[in-house]
Amino acid sequence: MSQLQEEREIILGNENVDSFDFDEVREFVKGADENLFISHHFAKKGKMLVQPRGGFPTYEKQYALYEFFVDANVDVLPLTIDSNTRLNDYATAKKMLRLSEANEVDMLNGYPLVNHGYRTTRKMMTHFNHPVSLRHGTPDARLLIEIAIASGIFEIEGGPITYLLPYSKNFPLDKAFLYWKYVERVCADYSTLNKPINRESFGPLTATLVPPSITIVIQLLEMLLSLEEGVKSFSVSFAQQGSMIQDIVTGTVTRKLAEHYAAQIGCEDAVINLVYHQWMGAFPMNRDSADQLINMSTVIASMCGADKIITKTREEAVGIPTKEANAQTVANTQYTLNILSGLPAVVDEQEEEILTAEVHAIMEAVFNDPADTLWRKVFNSIKNGIIDVPFSPHIINHNKMITIRDPQKNIRIIERGNVPIPDHCYEYEKSCCDLNKDTTSIVNDIIHDIGIMQ
Amino acid sequence: MSTSSDKLLIDIGSTYFKVSTKESIEQHFRDFNKQILDDLMHKCSDTVQRFESDDIHICSSANGGLSTLIIGLTHSYSLKYATNIAYNAGINVIDSIIFQDIEDYSIPSDLIDVVIIVGGIDSNGGQFDERLDNYLEKLNYSNIVYVGNGPDAMGLASRIDKLLVLPNVIDNRLHIVEKHLKEYLTNLYQQDIEGKEDIKDLYKITGNQIYSTPYVVNKSLPEINATFSVTDPFILLDIGGATTDVHYSKDLVRDNIVTEQGHDRIVFKKLGVFKSRESLIFTAEQNEFAYELLMHLKVTESIYKENSERATKVIMQLAIFLVLCEMSHYRTANVTLKLLAMNSIVFTGGITKVLTVEDIEDVVAFFYRKILNSDHKPVTVLDANYDIWTIGAKEYASCQ
Amino acid sequence: MKVVTGVIGNDIHVVANRLMDLSLNARGYEVFNLGVNTYLEEFFDAVVETGAEILLISSLNGEAEGWGREVKLLKAKYKSLDNLTMMIGGNLTVGSGNAEDIVPRYKNYGFDLVCHQVDLNTGLDMLETYIQEHR
Repeated sequence: MSQLQEEREIILGNENVDSFDFDEVREFVKGADENLFISHHFAKKGKMLVQPRGGFPTYEKQYALYEFFVDANVDVLPLTIDSNTRLNDYATAKKMLRLSEANEVDMLNGYPLVNHGYRTTRKMMTHFNHPVSLRHGTPDARLLIEIAIASGIFEIEGGPITYLLPYSKNFPLDKAFLYWKYVERVCADYSTLNKPINRESFGPLTATLVPPSITIVIQLLEMLLSLEEGVKSFSVSFAQQGSMIQDIVTGTVTRKLAEHYAAQIGCEDAVINLVYHQWMGAFPMNRDSADQLINMSTVIASMCGADKIITKTREEAVGIPTKEANAQTVANTQYTLNILSGLPAVVDEQEEEILTAEVHAIMEAVFNDPADTLWRKVFNSIKNGIIDVPFSPHIINHNKMITIRDPQKNIRIIERGNVPIPDHCYEYEKSCCDLNKDTTSIVNDIIHDIGIMQ
Repeated sequence: MSTSSDKLLIDIGSTYFKVSTKESIEQHFRDFNKQILDDLMHKCSDTVQRFESDDIHICSSANGGLSTLIIGLTHSYSLKYATNIAYNAGINVIDSIIFQDIEDYSIPSDLIDVVIIVGGIDSNGGQFDERLDNYLEKLNYSNIVYVGNGPDAMGLASRIDKLLVLPNVIDNRLHIVEKHLKEYLTNLYQQDIEGKEDIKDLYKITGNQIYSTPYVVNKSLPEINATFSVTDPFILLDIGGATTDVHYSKDLVRDNIVTEQGHDRIVFKKLGVFKSRESLIFTAEQNEFAYELLMHLKVTESIYKENSERATKVIMQLAIFLVLCEMSHYRTANVTLKLLAMNSIVFTGGITKVLTVEDIEDVVAFFYRKILNSDHKPVTVLDANYDIWTIGAKEYASCQ
Repeated sequence: MKVVTGVIGNDIHVVANRLMDLSLNARGYEVFNLGVNTYLEEFFDAVVETGAEILLISSLNGEAEGWGREVKLLKAKYKSLDNLTMMIGGNLTVGSGNAEDIVPRYKNYGFDLVCHQVDLNTGLDMLETYIQEHR
């Protein structure tokens, strides 16, 4: 038996799993309808796919949510996992699920997939026969993704960096790399049976003034870590940044460099998709303003040529959105996409050049780390600040980089910390901003820049 | 580079020694009336004589390891960092002292192998006054090392005889800096092993350096999957005659420490099944669940006084239970591991020769039910052939 | 001057924490930021290790009530913290509450400066005034 298979048996021997039948699951994946695979929908290249967010604790509520989504003409269904499961605390998730089932109150902020199990969940997934995307935020997602794929969920979001640095203070990053390696290997293995399983990185990170160079570098690195394990379909992603031109440039550079670096490791055959997140920062309380913001996000996603858009709702600032509000965004977004036509091709060569140079410089510094494996090079680069994610709570993150917005609301690096931003790029970034103010007013600017959409 | 296939690997423990070739592994109880070398040659001379001295590799934990006493400023930083480094270097921490209360601590009567003084970032000098000198005057120690704030180093070095000064283990972001102290302690342990009369004798049969066993085991952990079906996070228990060593995946704790290695180590100095049997029984008597465990195993407390195979078995089962308790929320004095997240539990050492997988699973399940109210069942792995030690020994053998 | 800061307890408000860090830096303090999710003992320990003169704790999800009572007790165990200036800011109560009730309560817990729902710069101005008056 292979080492991976031995590990899988131990992981799936967990007391919260009701006898995992490896052979049956393989047969299921092999024979699964192509409509369940988002990779199949990407390949058809018909339109930008629309995917909302959402997860409820009970089977019934999740089912009802999906009914609303399907009525609203959804392309991709989400399955958002509760926070206990994200921390591998299945016992608490189980307790809270029971309470949610017994009293009409939701005691979990998502669907506890491990506790529901794959036999039950698969019924829902095959009933709706739509591609489903797993949204979680789990550093150790080994058990979760096994149950997801067995349930018919063939897109797995996340990665060792993007699911750790924004969420955790002290989960050991090196362990996260190893646990995600398992995820990649299992996805790669299942991908040989039918259409490929799609892996998606979580580009928004902390969703707070993260400069595009950092976002892209992390997207590329998670892509490479995935492809080198044999994954054949991968989505790079980023969230609306606040400036339309910066989004367009980010989209262009991300696509171009994803192809470049995939080819460098001999993975030209992998399909790389681009995913756009509607505004992930603080939302306006006013629901009508929120609708306008969402609509503008959809237009920008189209300008970027995204393959998929992940939506927000008009209730974003209020709390967990209702299924009605959620479905309404889907319908609205589909409508906007339908009527949008004759979009101009916008190019900003200078911005592209600067951003490309920044990404190459950081990537080169990562590759130059003396460690023998890519994951350890990346680990070391985060540890020594070559990669620095603004507003990450994790103790390993350097927090030395400072970013603000220029008058066009582009995110600019005014303090690079240890990140090897080339001098001419750094000078350019700083020259876009008014840095003659005293430092206290710059801090006030940052506060303002975080809340631009409110 | 030679392979280990033509090598002889020897591990000297406080109770057993083990002799491993590519074909076989033998282990023998030590005869304490003999010097180690005599004992070894008496029992395995045929095997030993088949090998050239350059092909014989030896590690030892016979002396129970080095002891350290740490004097620091706070639990969350200086003491925690120095303790982490000491354990990972294979050293046993006897006591840790908060400097502000140093006058309230009793002075250990035993000889301390190394005293570590630590505390303060480099811009925070003036921490260690004459209360430190007074304490040290009464303390019996062999080595002393300072890894605290920079400004205090000079003054202390002039006051304290033979004080070695190394770079601060706390940097200006309050993060840990492991390198220098870890190297120093590892080397000190190394020199200690080589310095023991008993062990020195062994250089008559080997041309290679003799290493400490925890060092060798630590080397093997990243390679453990090659031999066993072990899945992170896991713990490795080495329940010995005198002490119990635990190596654990660091995601089982939520410590604000960014370190190099994937596993940390702790030692329970008084939990062993031969030399430390008395203190183990004492600990059991203080544990409200131990009595229930004895009932569960269908024996009574009179088993403590027995000297039978059955008694040895029960003592070992008790040791497993007590060590798990020490690492759970049940005993908050020590490190608390997230034992519900643990996927594998690996046993090495003499215990694997006495207990079966069933004996172990029985007591592990009892622990989870009673202490954690859970049916969690980590996969039990027995390293009955000392493969873990062999992997580590090969690791260093292949590096030489 | 050295300041130890961070967000207490089970609280993951990174943005507020980082802004505090930047603002303190901008005002010339030497900042030791323990980040989010920090325990009370870690705060005091960090003060001891760094020799900070000021401890500035943020609490944003209103759970400060839970541990407020422990502050004096814990602080009393340390022998070198008598001259420490202690400040707390953020959202100091669950639900609605007014500053007239909250401020004396937290002063009683051992804080010299209490800022309930006070904006960042106003709070830091208060700190500066306090320092000038008391040092």
